[in-house]
Amino acid sequence: MLQSILFGLTIGGILYIIAIGLSLTFGAMGIVNFAHGLIYAIGAYALYTGLSWLGLNFFLGALLAVAVSIPISYVIERFVIRKLYGQAIDYAIIATYAVLLIGVDAIKWIYGPNPLPIGDPIGESIAFLSLEMPVYRLIIIGISFLIFIGLSLFFKKTMVGKIVVAGLQDQEAVRSLGIKVEKYFAIVFILGSALAALGGVLYAPISTLDPYMGFHILILCFAVVIVGGMGNLRGTAIAAFALGMVMSITGRLWGPAADAMVYVVMAVVLIFRPIDV
Amino acid sequence: MFSKIEKNPFLTLAIIAGGFILFGYSTSLPKITDFMIFCIFVLGFDLLYGHMGQLSFGHMLYLGAGSYGTAIFAAFVTPDPFLGIAVGIFTAALLAFILGLIVVRTSGACFALLNLALNEVGAFMVLVPFPQWTGGEDGLSLFFKSYGFLNFANPTFLFFFVLGSLLAVSYLIMRFVRSPYGMFLKATKENEVRVRFLGYNTYIYKLITFVLSGSIAGFAGALNTINLSYTSPSLIDPTRNVEVIFAALMGGAGNVMGAIIGGTAFMTISNYLARYIIRWEMFLGVALLIFAFKFRKGIWGYLRKV
Repeated sequence: MLQSILFGLTIGGILYIIAIGLSLTFGAMGIVNFAHGLIYAIGAYALYTGLSWLGLNFFLGALLAVAVSIPISYVIERFVIRKLYGQAIDYAIIATYAVLLIGVDAIKWIYGPNPLPIGDPIGESIAFLSLEMPVYRLIIIGISFLIFIGLSLFFKKTMVGKIVVAGLQDQEAVRSLGIKVEKYFAIVFILGSALAALGGVLYAPISTLDPYMGFHILILCFAVVIVGGMGNLRGTAIAAFALGMVMSITGRLWGPAADAMVYVVMAVVLIFRPIDV
Repeated sequence: MFSKIEKNPFLTLAIIAGGFILFGYSTSLPKITDFMIFCIFVLGFDLLYGHMGQLSFGHMLYLGAGSYGTAIFAAFVTPDPFLGIAVGIFTAALLAFILGLIVVRTSGACFALLNLALNEVGAFMVLVPFPQWTGGEDGLSLFFKSYGFLNFANPTFLFFFVLGSLLAVSYLIMRFVRSPYGMFLKATKENEVRVRFLGYNTYIYKLITFVLSGSIAGFAGALNTINLSYTSPSLIDPTRNVEVIFAALMGGAGNVMGAIIGGTAFMTISNYLARYIIRWEMFLGVALLIFAFKFRKGIWGYLRKV
C-alpha cells in the first residue's frame, strides 16, 4: 500500500511538472495547447538521442533535452500561438493539434514507429520499512517538490513572475500599466514547455518511448489542469498529486482502469464545476 | 454558381447522388461506400460543430456506440441488418442523451475536452471490462441475414443503400437548418446569452441537437459494421477524432455540401495520398494548419463565393 502511495506521488510529481506549463498557457492566453504534448515527447526523445547516439550520461542528456525544447517552443509560440490570441478556442485546439500531428510524424520519421526503452539511470532501490523503493522515483518526487517551491518563489518574488500572476488575473489592467503582457506570456510559455521537456526526461526511464506518448500524457494533463483550475498554480499541484494517487491506487486494484479512472474524475469535476472558456 | 446549388435542396441532393454514382462506378463501389459512410459521420459531427458551433473532440464515441450496438445485437440477439441498424442508432442516441444532459451545459474548451475524456472512457469500456461481449482488442466478426435482393453482402445493393441513407441524412439536415429550429440554433451559436434573454431554453435545444448529432454518428457506425461485417476498437478510438474534425473544417463547416466535400476529400487523401507521400500524416498536419489559419470557411466556403 505504501508503495502505491509512493508511486502515486511519483506520477503526481511528473504530472505536475508537465501540467503546470499547460495550465499557465490555458489560464494566461486562453489557449488549449495540444502542442505541449509534443514538447514532452521531444524531451524524452532528445534524452534518448543524448544517451544512445551521443553517449552522454543521464544528467547531460536531460540538459540537452531541455535545451532543445527551448528553441522549438519559441518557434511554436512565435508562429502558431501568437496568431491564436483572442481567437475562438476551436482554432487554437485545431492548430495546436496540427502541430502535435506534424511533430509526432517527424518523430516517427526520425526514430521509427516502434517503442524505444530507456533504462533506469540509477537502478538502485532503498529498502525502507520492508519495501523497496527505487531511488529514482524518490528523486522524481524530490525534483517535483523543488520545482513547486521554485515556481512559487518565482511567481511571488521576481518581477516577471508577479507580472504573470497579475496578467493571469486581469490582462487588461496589466496592459494599461504599459507592460507588454504578450512578451511575458511568451516567456511563461517557453518556461512551461521546458518543464514539459523535463517531465518527458524524468518519465522516460519509467516507461518506454513511443511517438504517440505525447497524446497519452496530454489528456492526463488536461485532467490535472481542469481539476486543479486553469492558471491556478497551487491547484495544479494538488490536482496532479491527487490524480497521481488515483492512477496508482486504481492501477493496483484494477490495472488497466488506471487511466480511465482519471478521465472519470475529470468528467465528474467538469460536471460539478464547468469552466467556460 | 455554387451558391445557387446551395439554395435549392433538390439540386444539392441530385449533385451529391450524381457525384457519388460517378465516383463509385469509375473507381470501386466498396471504396466509395466507405467514403459515403464517413460523410454521414461528418454530417453528424458538422451538426454540432458547424451549426451549433461547439467543437467536440470525442465524437468517435458515438460512431463506436452505433457500431458496437449493431455488432453486439447481431452477434448475440439476431443477425437482422435492419433491426441492427435501428439498435445501433438507438444505442448512440441513448448514450448521447444521457451524456448530453451534462455535456451540453459546458462550452468551448471544456466541451471539447469533456467529450474527449468520455470517448477515452468509452474506448476503455469496449476494450477491457467485457471482452466476452465486445471482443476486446480483436473486435467482433459478424454475419448478417439477407432477405432476397435486400442483401448487404451485395456491393451494389450496399452502395445504393448507403447512398440513399446519405441523401436522407443530408435532406434531414437541410430541412432542419431551414426550419425555425435551425434559425434558433444559428442564433444560439452566435450569441447564446441573447437568445436566453429572449426567453428560450437553449439547454433543451442544445441537448436535442447533441442527441441528433450522436444518432447520425451512430447511424454511420451501424452502417460501418454492416459494411465490414466486423467491428473493432478502432471505431471508438479517440485519436481518430482528428479525421472528422479535419474533414469538417476542410470542407466547410455549417453546411451539407461542405461536410460531404470535406468527408470525400479527407477519405481521398488518406486513401490515395499515402501511396505518393509517405509522410502523409505530416502533410495532414500542415494542411490542417493552413486551413485553420487561412481557409476557415473550407473548400465549399471558398467555392460559394465564386
